[in-house]
Amino acid sequence: MDREAEFRRLYEAHRQAVHAYFTGRTGDPHSAADLMQEVFLRVWQHLGTLADLPDDGPRAWIFTVARNLSVDAHRHQQTRCGAQQALAREPAGLPQPASAAVIAAERVAVVGEAIRRLPEPQRVTLTMAAVGGMTSAEMAAALGVPAGTVRYRLSLARRAVAEVLHRYDDPAEE
Amino acid sequence: MSLDDDLAAWAATVRLSDTEAAAIFQRIVGAPAPVPAVVPRLDPSWWRHFTADFTARMVASTRPVRQAA
Repeated sequence: MDREAEFRRLYEAHRQAVHAYFTGRTGDPHSAADLMQEVFLRVWQHLGTLADLPDDGPRAWIFTVARNLSVDAHRHQQTRCGAQQALAREPAGLPQPASAAVIAAERVAVVGEAIRRLPEPQRVTLTMAAVGGMTSAEMAAALGVPAGTVRYRLSLARRAVAEVLHRYDDPAEE
Repeated sequence: MSLDDDLAAWAATVRLSDTEAAAIFQRIVGAPAPVPAVVPRLDPSWWRHFTADFTARMVASTRPVRQAA
């Protein structure tokens, strides 16, 4: 397999998960895309190293790089700026037409805000599951934590979001 | 609407689009290919030279100093 084809295989296999991971960490899909590009640039530069790794090795390598980059990003406070920009951008991106669409968009915004307010480990886990479509086992391997911990965080996160939506649907019950 | 539906609706708004993913892919593969680092190799006889030099220095440094007359 040539170099570009091998890279494409890794890119297609992991890009969604890596983007979801950074979206969870930063709260901003645009910052997440930039960080994802950084990760895959390193994959491209170290393709030879990754080719020698066993089956699950590339995923572990990619997420180790992702975690390190994420720490650096936090250190430079880029993530906070990204999250603020995301919040500022959110309403501007919403379409204006029919009320049903507006209501649906508002509901999405409520979900997004509820997720943004989750503690980071829960936010990352929920985002990787919902956006990246990852299983508990895959997330555990990527995050370097036990699968039980992942399931616990996911359960807490889902419950928190469900409570916010419940209050949104029935404000009188508060 | 179930929680999973709500999460899926939200996920659709933040997920990386195929167009954006393709653009990132092109930017990466368009970057210049990395040049493999050239690690200078030692001459195969370095160890022989090193030990010979070391031995000579040890002998010289432990030789009794001739007293000045």
